[in-house]
Parts: sequence; structure tokens; C-alpha cells
Amino acid sequence: MLSVISFNVDHGYLEGLVRGMKAGILTRADYHNLAQCDTLEDMKLHLQCTDYGKTLSSSEDDLTVSLVDSKLRENLVAEFSCLRSNALPPLSTFLDYITYSYMIDNVVMLITGALKQRDVAELLPRCHPLGAFDQMAAVGIARTPTELYSAVLVDTPLAQFFQDAVSESNLDEMEAEILRNKLFKAYLESFHSFCKNIGGATKDIMCPILEFEADRRAFIITVNSFGTDLSNAERSALYPACGRLHPEGLCLLGAAQDAAQVKDVADRYPAYKIIFEEPEPGSGFKTLEDRFFEQEVKLNTLAFLQQFHFGVFYSYIKLKEQESRNIVWIAECVTQRQKSKIHNYITIFQGTEQ
Amino acid sequence: MDFAIHNSQSRTIVYAKMPPPLFTTRESEGSSTLLDEKLLRFMEQLELLEEKRASLNSLIEQGWFSMSKARYSMGNKHVSPLQYASEMEPLVLVHAKTLDSGELDFSTERFEQKCCKEVGADNRSIEEIGPQEKGVRRRIKPKEDITKKAVNEETSSENAPEVTPVTKSDQNLQQDPLKWFGILVPQSLKHAQLSFKQVLELSAEIATLQTAVLSTRQELKHSKKHKHEEASATQLDSVAD
Repeated sequence: MLSVISFNVDHGYLEGLVRGMKAGILTRADYHNLAQCDTLEDMKLHLQCTDYGKTLSSSEDDLTVSLVDSKLRENLVAEFSCLRSNALPPLSTFLDYITYSYMIDNVVMLITGALKQRDVAELLPRCHPLGAFDQMAAVGIARTPTELYSAVLVDTPLAQFFQDAVSESNLDEMEAEILRNKLFKAYLESFHSFCKNIGGATKDIMCPILEFEADRRAFIITVNSFGTDLSNAERSALYPACGRLHPEGLCLLGAAQDAAQVKDVADRYPAYKIIFEEPEPGSGFKTLEDRFFEQEVKLNTLAFLQQFHFGVFYSYIKLKEQESRNIVWIAECVTQRQKSKIHNYITIFQGTEQ
Repeated sequence: MDFAIHNSQSRTIVYAKMPPPLFTTRESEGSSTLLDEKLLRFMEQLELLEEKRASLNSLIEQGWFSMSKARYSMGNKHVSPLQYASEMEPLVLVHAKTLDSGELDFSTERFEQKCCKEVGADNRSIEEIGPQEKGVRRRIKPKEDITKKAVNEETSSENAPEVTPVTKSDQNLQQDPLKWFGILVPQSLKHAQLSFKQVLELSAEIATLQTAVLSTRQELKHSKKHKHEEASATQLDSVAD
């Protein structure tokens, strides 16, 4: 149990640092300016006035949306590395937990890339730097999840998530998807119990966020599995069990056959009922994922209202990711001249109350 | 003969400077009516072509935009050229056949699974345009006259969508391109695929319509020429009388 008094001894500097970085998160006014731009060059100019500074100007390549995304990611990785390199346990373990989700994504990207005969040298630069680990180049060689575990990942931090994920079936698209979700389920449950053990404000902030994440994954997996070859039983095995839907909601979701039944399940939980509600006529159409992102942003902004806990680090990373998504969305709308949908980004902080 | 289209929305068609027929013999009446009919047909075809082109453009824009939405949900690097192989097999073929009237008709056919029927006429081998990869590949006999690459795969905005027929290597599985991006893909990606599928069918229709428009224009020219010759022949006759 982390004492409020002694938190600053080990972690005070880093909390101060992350709060300073959080103050640079783009505000409503910044987004408004970006949305007025007509080209990516204009957007680059506007971003120079923010905390991003010269991030985009330093490259000589043609400015494309993909380049913008890569540069924003580099920026976030630099900030995270700064935090991680100065962190002491248990914050260091906490920050490592944050990186595991990116590792899982990278592993799956390398596997599917290998299926498409893509060269490893081509795939490695596109992997998320936060999820880098030593044995990445060897991931493409594995044929089955068991082989992947025993030959490649056994010495990596992902080894602990492999209990349910080992299987002898060949790694094709379906198996890769199942592997991704099983690893993520194990990861989320492990992270949740880690935060619970830390206790205190960290538990109070992080556990609701992780429970929401678990429930979100259960809903999204269910909705996206309609019309695919994934059976109900296989699908149920992918639901993380650390959320509020466990156990009754997950059972019902496992049996759902269409979107209406999923909505029924959501209606039993007030927090999720709002997400699945029909939008009022006149307001812009939002996808399900958009509404989940909005809710995630709300939960993450709450982390900054308390002090002396690790949640601020997690929330900062997630909010910066949302910011990247927002900027890339605006960039896509600008390049495709679809200005009508440009305001579909999610404003994180309103402006004056930071 | 000059003519002007007012605009396609208001649908008025204005003829200007059309010379009146000099003599109203039955023959010249007949050819005038024919000419009018051809002109009307030409106009209608043009209008239809405009509508289809507009719809094609908006479907393509919609498709790309849905892909951007998918990138928003899935992550930018998860809907990109990394997700597909550099060699792929087409799922949709374009048939071109010549009708009795001499016009070309294009239609699309979607494959459910690989089939190897030989179809007569023109056994052109599948051309590959663009840089070739090294390695020996078996060229399959062409199935139809023209083979187009499956345009219903998703390409990222970094790649200009090139239409390159491919040579195939034998064991490529024909697969729904949606699966390249994962099994559990968001709805927006599915919408994008739907838009691009519609674009494919529409392209074949537009190509057909375009050749029809060109041939109608030719017919119009011939009819006009024929009518002028007729009119001057009748004039000479009457002067001779």
C-alpha cells in the first residue's frame, strides 16, 4: 500500500513531469485552428505553436497523413522513454505493463505480415516502438502459437500471458486474431490484479478504467464477430473477465446473435446503456467505437484530479494517443476534403481548466 | 449542327443553328425524324453517363473516407500496405464482348472460387505492368479476354490505386480481402469494401455507356452527312426540272 506521504520520495519528480506534459495537451481552441486548415502544411504551421514544436518540420519527406501519425507517435515514445528511464519500482513495473499491449499488437502485426510474405525489414520499422522487444525479428518464423511461445516469446514479458493461448493450430488470420485477443485478455486481467494489489488511489483510479476496457473489448468483439467465421464458443473465450460484465453480462454476450441482443445486454448496465443509445436526430452519426473512445477520455481525465497515484501515467499516455487520433483524423479530412465530418474528434480538455 | 445542353438538372435541350430542311419530301422527313431520334438518344446517354460518373466519384470518396474511419478505430498502421501481399489474385473479372451492333459491352463477374475454363476468342496472356519481381512464375492461360486486378482490395492513401493485371503463382488462396486486416474488423471497413464493390460494377457500366455514346455520335455524324447529301440531290433534281 503506497503511502501518500512517501509517494513523492520515489515518484514525485515523475508525477510532476507528467503533469507538466499534460498541460501541453491540445485544447478546444487548438483543434478549432487545425480544423480551419486547408492543407497539411497549414496544419504543420499550427502545430508548431503547440507543445509539438518542430516535430513535423524536422523531416524532409513529403508530408503525408501517415508521416504525421509516425511523427506524433515518435513524440509520445520520447516522452514515455523519459518517464520509464527514471522510474523506480513499482512505477517501473506499472509502466512496463502499459507497454505490453503494444507488444501484443506488434507480435500480431509481424505474424500477419509474415503470412503475406512481407519482409521482416519492412515490418519492423512499422511496429510500435513502445512495444519493442529483442526477439521481434524472429516472430515471423513461428507456425503455431505453441512454437511462437516456446521458440520466441518464452524469454519476453509476454510469456506470462500465454497460458490459454497455446494451441497447435496453424497461424492463419483467424488464429492470429484469436491469439491477439487471448493474450490481451490475460494481459488485462493481470494488469487489473496488479493495480488492485497496489491499492490506494491507484486502485481507485485504474481499476474502473481497466474494467471499462475489458467491457469495451467484450462488446466490440461481439459486434464485429457477426457475419464472420468466429463461433460463439470461441468468441466467449476471448472476453476479459475483469470487467463489470463478468459473469452474467459475458454469458449473455456470448449467446448474442445480432446487434439488438447486444443492445439488450448493454441496457442492463447504466454506463453502457448510454453508449448504445440511439443518437438524437440532428447530432452527427458516431460509430460505436467513437462513443467508447469518448467514455474512455472521460475516465482518463478523472485521473488528474487525485494525486500520489500511478494512474496519471496511464491516463496521460492514453490521452496523448487520443490526441494523435484526433490530429490524424483532422488531417485525413483536410486531405480528402471532407470538411463536414471534421469535427468528429474528441476534445480532451476544454481549455482553461487544466 | 450545333447544339447546346442547357444543364442536366433542368433537362432542357436547346438546339441552335439547325438548318431547316429545304424540301419536305417524304424521304427527307424520314431522315430528319431519324436524326432527331438519334440526337435524343445521344442526349439521354450523355445524361446517364454524367449521373453514373457523379455516383462513381461519390462512391470512391465514400470508400476512402470509410477507410479513414477504420484507421481511426484500428490504428493507422493496421490499415496500410503492410497488410496485403504484393502478389494477389483477382476476384472480379471483366468480360468484354462485341455486340451485333459493333458496340463493346463490358460486364463484371465475381469469382467465388478459382475456375479454369477456357473461353474462345482472344487468348492474350495476362500482362504485367510495372516492375517485375524476380523468380520463376507459371503464367496461367487467360480465362477471359481482359482480366483486371481485384480493385476491391483496400489500398492505403499512400499508394495511388493502380490497375495492374497480375501474373499469378499457383497456390494463392482466393480470399475475401477484408480478412487481410483481421477477422474482427470494424463496420467502417466493411462499408468501405461495399463502396468499392459497387464502384467496380459501376465502372463496367460506365465503360459500356461510354462506347455507346461514342458510337451514337458517329451515327449522328453519318446521318447528318447522309441528310445533307439527300437534300442537295433533291435540290439539283428540282432545279433540273
